[in-house]
Order: sequence, then C-alpha cells, then structure tokens
Amino acid sequence: MLTAQSSLGIIFFPAFDWAISPTHPEREERLLYTQDQFREEGIFDIEGIREYRPLVAEEKDIMRAHFCFPGVQSVCTDSHFISAGGVIRAAQLVMQKERQRAFAVVRPPGHHAMRTVHGSRGFCNINIEAVMIEWIREHYGNLRVAVIDTDCHHGDGTQDIYWHDPDVLFISLHQDGRTIYPGTGFPSESGGPKALGRTINVPMPPRTSDEGYLMTVERIVMPILDHFKPDLIINSAGQDNHFSDPITNMNFTAQGYAKLTQMLKPDIAVLEGGYAIKGALPYVNLGISLALAGVDFSAVQEPDLDREKIREQKSTIDYLSALCDQLPEVYFNPRPSEAVRESGYFVRRRSIYYDTDDITETQVERLKDCPHCPGLLIVESETAQTPKSLGLHVPVQGCDMCSQEAEERFAKSRQAGFAHAQISDRVTKRYEYAR
Amino acid sequence: MLIGIDVGGTHTDGVCIRDGRVEAMAKVPTDHDNLLATITEALCAILKDCKGAEIRTINLSTTLSTNSIVTGHTEKVGMFVIPGPGLDASAYALGSQYHILSGCVDHRGAISAKARVDQIKPMAKRCREEGIRVYGVVGKFCTRNPEQEMAIAEALAPQADFVTQGHRVSESLNFGRRISTVYYNSAVWRTFNAFADALEQSLKDLNIQADINIVKADGGTMPLKLAREIPVQSIFSGPAASVMGILSTTAVTEDALILDIGGTTTDIAVLLDGVPLLERDGISIGEHPTLVRALKVESIGIGGDSFISSRDGQLRVGPDRHGPCMAAGGPAPALMDAMNVLGHAAFGDRERSAKGIKEVAMIQGLSARECAEQAVSLAMDILKKKVDAFLAAINARPVYTIQEILEDRLVRPASIQVIGGPAVAMSPLLEETFGLPVVAPKHAEVANAIGACLTRPTQSLVLTVDTSRGSFTVPGLGIHKTVKRTYTLEEAVHDATTMLRAELDRQGIPAEDGDIQVIQADAFNMVEGHYTIGRNIRVRCQMRPGVITTLAS
Repeated sequence: MLTAQSSLGIIFFPAFDWAISPTHPEREERLLYTQDQFREEGIFDIEGIREYRPLVAEEKDIMRAHFCFPGVQSVCTDSHFISAGGVIRAAQLVMQKERQRAFAVVRPPGHHAMRTVHGSRGFCNINIEAVMIEWIREHYGNLRVAVIDTDCHHGDGTQDIYWHDPDVLFISLHQDGRTIYPGTGFPSESGGPKALGRTINVPMPPRTSDEGYLMTVERIVMPILDHFKPDLIINSAGQDNHFSDPITNMNFTAQGYAKLTQMLKPDIAVLEGGYAIKGALPYVNLGISLALAGVDFSAVQEPDLDREKIREQKSTIDYLSALCDQLPEVYFNPRPSEAVRESGYFVRRRSIYYDTDDITETQVERLKDCPHCPGLLIVESETAQTPKSLGLHVPVQGCDMCSQEAEERFAKSRQAGFAHAQISDRVTKRYEYAR
Repeated sequence: MLIGIDVGGTHTDGVCIRDGRVEAMAKVPTDHDNLLATITEALCAILKDCKGAEIRTINLSTTLSTNSIVTGHTEKVGMFVIPGPGLDASAYALGSQYHILSGCVDHRGAISAKARVDQIKPMAKRCREEGIRVYGVVGKFCTRNPEQEMAIAEALAPQADFVTQGHRVSESLNFGRRISTVYYNSAVWRTFNAFADALEQSLKDLNIQADINIVKADGGTMPLKLAREIPVQSIFSGPAASVMGILSTTAVTEDALILDIGGTTTDIAVLLDGVPLLERDGISIGEHPTLVRALKVESIGIGGDSFISSRDGQLRVGPDRHGPCMAAGGPAPALMDAMNVLGHAAFGDRERSAKGIKEVAMIQGLSARECAEQAVSLAMDILKKKVDAFLAAINARPVYTIQEILEDRLVRPASIQVIGGPAVAMSPLLEETFGLPVVAPKHAEVANAIGACLTRPTQSLVLTVDTSRGSFTVPGLGIHKTVKRTYTLEEAVHDATTMLRAELDRQGIPAEDGDIQVIQADAFNMVEGHYTIGRNIRVRCQMRPGVITTLAS
C-alpha cells in the first residue's frame, strides 16, 4: 500500500454543471478527465491523501479581498462562491493542522481578478487565492505569505491586490507578456511604494521547457523564498505552461510540474488556468498531487510525450540564465519607487479592460502615505454600466488613523456623489456597502 | 416458495417464505470446515415443514469465499498487469507471480503503446513451472478499452483453467482496487465452483429444482451461474443480508439508521429515503481495497458481551469481549449483565449478572446499581459518538456539482431500526440516547435469513461513448465497438437500458418496467480550439436494488 509522506487534502470540485459558455475553455468538461485519472490511479486510496468538499464562501469573505461594484452578488455566481469556498476549505485544513498540505482543484479560477471587480477578466471574477489569504489573516493574524504563481499567464490580479502589501510576497513566472495575455508582468513591475521588491515578475520566453523552467525556480524563486521566510507558501498552480496547451506557447511537462512542486513545497496549491483538459490536466494534476504528498511521481508521464521535440534551444537557456543573474536584484536591491505622490497620497490612474465580459473600467487609486501603516487604499471606479463607485480598504496591518479616515469618507460617500461605496476595514472587521 | 439461508460466523439461519409469510425457520451451528453440510442441515430443518418440490428459489448468503480468503486457503494466481505511466504498479503486487507488462491505454481508451503478447512468454512459462492454473489480467483504463486485456487473456488460455479479466469484475475506475478484485476472484474461483457443484448435486439429491442465487455485499443477489464467474462478489454478504432483512420486515421510506447489535460489535448502516447507502468504491479485504460493491457498514466495539472492567481507576466497556456475559455462563461481567441489573433485560442467570457487576462496583467504590448505570451510559455514549461521526463523514462526502452543494442533502435519520440479540432490551436506552423512535422488526432473530430470502438480484451496466473517437464501450459485457459521430445521449440511455434488460433476460432474472433505473446520464461537449469535436457520454443504469416483497405484519 502507498503512503503519503505529507498528509494531503484535495478539494476536488469540477462544477460539472457550470460553464462560461458551451464551447468556452472554462466549461463543464474541464476537470472530467482529471477526475477519471484520479479515480483510476486511486489516489484517494493512498494512505494520507483525502478528498474534501468545498465550503460555500460568504459575501464578507469576498469583501475582504475585493471591491465589487455594484455589489458582490452582481459579479459572483454560485460557482464563484463555491470555488472561493473550496480554497477556504483548503486553508482551514492546513491552518487547523488536519492536513499538512492542501490542493484546491476547483473551478472557476481567479488570478486575473484584481482588487476592484466589475465582471470577468481572463475567465476570473474572484481572486480565490486572495480570498483565502485574507480569510487566513482574519482568523490567524497577519502571517507572512508568499504566493508563487506558476500559471502561464501573468497573475496580474493577485499582483494588483498585493501591490501595496509588504507582508505578501508575490512572484509570478509566466510566458513573456509581449507574446501573450494579459500583456503585463515585466521585471519593472516590482511593487508599490510601501512594498517595493515584494512583487517579482519573471517573464519567460515561449517554448521554455523543463530545464529552463526549473533552473529559473531554483535560481530566482528559491533564494528569495529563503530570505523572505514566509509563514505560508501558496502556489497558484496554473497548468497552461504544458506543451499541449491550446492557448499558450510553452513546453513544460507533468514531470516538470511535479518537480517544481517538490522544490516549492507549497502549503497550499490552487488550480488556476490550464485548458489542455485531455492531454495535460489529468497528468499534471496527478503529478502535483503526488509531489505535494511526497509520493513517488517518477513514472507520471503524458502518453504522447516526446522529450526531444520539446527541449529548449540553447539560446533560450542562455536568455533565461541571464535573467536568473539579474532578477533576484528586484527583491534584494529594489529600485527607488517612481510612484506619483499628490498631497499625501500615492496616485495611480488606470484603465482596466475585462476581456471575458467586455467591460472597460476607469480607475483612480489613492494610497494614503501613512507613517504608521501601509496605508488606507481609496479607489474611485466607473464603467459604462456602473456609475462612479468608491472603495475603501484599511489593510490588515492598518492603524486607527486610517480606520477613522475610511469611516469618515464612507459616511460622506453619497454626498461626494458616489453611486456605490464599499468599506473593507480589516482592523475593525467592517465589510459593508453604503445604503 | 422462497428459501433464504444466511451462513454466519456462529450460526446458520434459514427461513422459508410463502405469500409473504414465514412458513418455517431454522437455526443450526455453522461448521466452517463443511459449509455444505451446514447448509444441507439448515435446508432439511426447514423442509420438515415445507415441500421441496414447491421451492422456486433458494437465496444463499455464504461466508465461503470470505473464509477461504481470511484463512489463506486460496489458490495461487498468476497476475499480469498493464499499468502504463502513473503510480508505481508494484505497490499493488499480490502473489508471487505478479508481472508488469508494457502497454498503455489512456483515459479515453486510446492505446498509445501496445501490450506485446510475446512479452509474456517467459513469465507464463514460470507460472506453468509453479503449477499455476488460474490467472488475472488487469489493464489501467481497461474499462475504456478492454482489447489489451482480452489479448493477454487469450494468450494465457491454453495453460489456464480460468482467467479473470479486469473489465469483467467492475465498471468502476480504480486500477489498484481492480487488481485486488481480480486477484481474489481467481484465488477463490476453484473453491467456489467446487462448492457450487456440490451444492447443485445435493439439491438434486433432495429433489429440489430451484433457481439458486448468491447474496452479494451490495444487498442484491446474483444467479449461481454468474457467481461461478465472479465469486469474489459473494464476499462479506452478511451485513447486507441483515440490512435487507430489515427492509423486508418493515417498509422504511425515510432516512433511517440501522443497528445490528451482536455480542462483540454493533454494525451501523444507513438508509437514504429507505434505500441502503453503498460504499463509494468498494469493500476492503484486509489491507486490500477492492471494487466489490458493498453497503456502507461500520463496526463499533460495543455489543451485549462487551467486557466491563475497572482499569486505572476508570470504568470501561468494550471494545473486547471475554466470552459470553455472565448471565449466559461467561467468565466476566459484560454489558448484558449491567442491563440485567438495571432491569432493562431479564436474560439468563440474573444472579450471576448481579455478582459480576458487584465485583467491578466494589473496585470503583460504587453500588452495583450505580456501576451498572455508569456502564450502560458509557456504552451509549460510545455508540452515539461513533454513529455521529459515521453520519458526519457521510454528510461531508464530496459532491461534484453546484446543484448538489446548494441542495446540501444531509442524511438525517428519522428512526432507528435494530436487530440482533440485545436489540429489544436496548431499545428504550437507544431511544433516550438518540432521541429517535426505535423499531425492532418482527423475526429480528432471523432477519438476516429473511433478508437473504427476499432480496432481489442487482446488476448494473455502464456505457461510455466518445463520439470524437467513435468509440462505444460496455466493459461489463465485453463490448468495445465503433459508433457514429452523431450518436446522442438519448440513444445511449436507450441502448444501455435495452442491453441491461437483455442481459437480465439472459440470466433469467425477471425485471418489471420500473426496475431498470438510470442513475447517471451525462453528455459533455468535447471542444478543441473553440470547435465542438464530439460528446463524451456516460450512462450508468442498474436493476433497482430492493426486496421482492415486504412480510405481511
């Protein structure tokens, strides 16, 4: 009988009755073959691996991480509450020490969802990792968390949510944004003025395969993790770096994913993208699960794998090697911030496009330059559908002054002409919309 | 006239039922070394009151296969497995001739590497040299494409008396479990068939010409002819016979808890809307999980003979048993003795009970009555905790659709059905502990034999279609053929139910219209690059489990 070295809880929720649309990659069938593979391999018969059902997240769970306009219900379907509930369950299992590790194999995914949500971006409405991390910090205090995003696409949503948070290290490894959605994730994006060097972006050239990918993790991610010493490591385990993925151009394998997991040793892994549902997901999910549990994964392999065909060229390895020399500097010696400061607030003016739902948002973000805490975050946002809305977020490390200012602004939001206003005060645990 | 015989660990019970009434019943001691003699004895005891010629069917729940496995009296099996990539197949090794072959079938049933028949020659030779005559062949995902298994089985046929193929023992996915299921099937094949031969002969001698069915662990039966092919399905049928006994004696239509209270243990099972809940994958044989479908049953170490003692100053009840309770002449005080002292029961020698309890009470510094009260309440606490945990685990079972999460159908027993020796005496206590009405059905002492007698055959069938590949697979019937690309879910439901009905006819199992139940009918769009390339269709249907009739009250 096989035994896990680390006990593992898998929250497997395929949502067989939900799709964005019938032929959309994010559809009912997506985890069907993974379930077949899990069952045929009998992974839940391995001593130490157990399957759990997701919880259903509540509105306040979502509101800790997001401003949803016009409201939570209007941007979330049942599937999003359950997918978020799935990762909360994963966190619960690990934090309550019922399991040493957890893997949330749930859908829909979340890493393109930013702090402010008007709809779906890159198939994501709710950033399930952020919902989970904020659930953990609400119940277990302000832990230091590292999020390693190994989805093929830049985790721009998670980057946005933790841009100003010095206690959450976000590292995204992805196919170079010049060649793929969402077109961001360059080394110069390295965190807000209060969290410089806490965001690390590693753009990799197309056709990077196992050797290059694992070298990058070893030489960039591991030294930074060793230094940051997080209390918790979260892996946004997107599976679209796979050589068979239909919407990306990378050459990673199930073996590569398993070895990556073995190196990162995440406490919690969360499925993100990955749309080669027949040729990749069954094997990648199996590899990740076995690696998390410390079970021999050396024989996990795609039936159609041809290693020679997908090996990187020397120029790719050389390019990556140079990247490996330079990128740790982003963390260890961050460049001074170029943030714009206007009368006591750092200001960003942005236009954000929601490709899945075809919405364009205009946004002004102000971060209070507070001497006591990372600062109150004030977001003014509008779209063609939703008039000017206000979001107020007092961070988990927040101070009384920021809390008080948020309170005052919230009370006056109607007078100030906002159609909707949401306050998320992590200090007083107040999560509300203005009436 | 129907006959039910349940071979138990200590006793073998038999009943004869005509027109919904128990005509005769018998209880004889079980002789594990000669089960046939035991069965014949039970039969003869019943037949004193009934005529042999009128017997239509005999349903038999037997420990034969279980015992030969548990006592290690099984035959050597030559195993050939085709794992392909994935988990290390040596983790499932059983027996000394366990051979891992090359070849690979993926989850869609596509063969990406062929198992080579010539590869097995040296291995087959070694098996021959060891005198092995029974074999097992198991491929990963063979239920999606059984061709490789069939080819290897055919190559082994000249040197085999019997070959079990993975796709014939279960339609469910789980390679490791399938390996142990196949192994044990071949391992008990000869013993079971020798028994079946002898049984048929002895019925002939008794002038009985009846259909013989064997009770399975899932609470259904299978014809003896089929049981000869998959004897492993006859293991652990005892608890199923008991549960079906309850269903035959009372019409339960809501959620209910079933407690079968014995001497050493209490078995818990659950009815969901009156239908017994099954194990998700299958029952385990020792450390080896299998795909043998079985009712979900858990044993708790509390029974009438649970030993009452004072250890480290603490009063304890169970989980061990030191012989029968003192009231029945046993050496040490047990739960039943405490019940006697409290007047809940009036069983056997009540003075001995009082004496035994008093001894423990002295150590505890209690009166005999106080001690008995504490022991009984301790036993009830243990039962309650275990039952609550059992239900909590069922209610936390994984589900895979949003609808199921939102519905959140929880098991909430509305009653407790009890059987077994101490059941009636414990009823008031259980009622108080669980706050639920407790029902002890009539004939509780032979409920298991009644269950065996009245339970119906069960049979299931799974059809998997992948229209993009044009493949159509029914592993249980060994069907793997091509199908048109326009094949629909409606056609699949129709074909699956028609094939199941034909198979039931072939086995001589009568089925009414409502008896065939479709339990899964899913069609997933298969998309490649934004174009629908086909449908993945899965239909599972079954002969509805249940009882032939409910006894007239």
